[in-house]
Amino acid sequence: MANKSQLQIGETIAVLFVFFILVVIGFIFYANIIKSDLQLKQDDQSQARSVQIAQRTMHLPELECSHYTNIVYDCVDILKLNSAKDVMMDNELYYYDMFEFSEINLTEVYPDTGSKWTIYSRKLPEFSKRFLTNVPVSLYDPRTGRNSIAVLSIDTTTK
Amino acid sequence: MKKGQMEILGLAIVVVLILVAAVFLAGIMISKKPSEQRKGFTRSVAASNTVSALLRASAEDCKYLTMTELLQDCAQGRSISCDDAQNSDSCKFAESTAEFVFGKTLEQWGFEYHFLAYVDKNHPLISIGTPCKGELETYIQPIPLKLSSMYVKMDICA
Repeated sequence: MANKSQLQIGETIAVLFVFFILVVIGFIFYANIIKSDLQLKQDDQSQARSVQIAQRTMHLPELECSHYTNIVYDCVDILKLNSAKDVMMDNELYYYDMFEFSEINLTEVYPDTGSKWTIYSRKLPEFSKRFLTNVPVSLYDPRTGRNSIAVLSIDTTTK
Repeated sequence: MKKGQMEILGLAIVVVLILVAAVFLAGIMISKKPSEQRKGFTRSVAASNTVSALLRASAEDCKYLTMTELLQDCAQGRSISCDDAQNSDSCKFAESTAEFVFGKTLEQWGFEYHFLAYVDKNHPLISIGTPCKGELETYIQPIPLKLSSMYVKMDICA
């Protein structure tokens, strides 16, 4: 009798052991799914933020060309550019709210003068994600009325 | 059926159910891919901005005429002769400038593209790159001519 009861207890313990192992495996599996789902969402958010920063840069009134009162889109005024650089450096906190941890450069590609301007620079020394968005723009010189082609590089980093 | 056989059958059903659930969840996990919103934005901006910046650009070696003026001349008689080493006509100059600009931008960023400037789509004046095979982001800019219009089209392949 005692032997039969012991056997039944042993059987119950074995069943419980297998059950808990299955629960642990399921939990690990579920945790991994949640983790990868969170990573995907985080990735999406970082991408959306980098797009937002790129759009803000493209339509920044401090750089945008204007003809009388009309805005000329996808165009950077070279005279505004030189002043904007200084304004941005003097008001770093204000522009941090707009551009967060990023670096914005403008490079002239045609004519190929090799001219490069750093408009904003506040990159994270260590980052988990980096998004580089290149936007071709016109570079307008109001003194000559001529346009050249430049590339606005918006390099965004996230922790 | 004996009691032992029933228990084994029950256990087998539980194991099958767990396996089905695991396969189902794994399927959901694999099907979730990172969003392509940034890539779409980059392609669309590259297509539209490259064309608008190119058309506004002043040609240093061609009397500082804009690329729009050069393309208009290309479609209407090619009367302009540029000051570059080859004394290119407006079509040649516009084509070589566009090739130079795309080489410094789209090609460096790894985009496949197809650029066309045409009055009649079947006989383009300028064609750079290769036509896209799958999905693409396209941008068309009409340019007025004296009697008709010409079009500049940029396709960025996905």
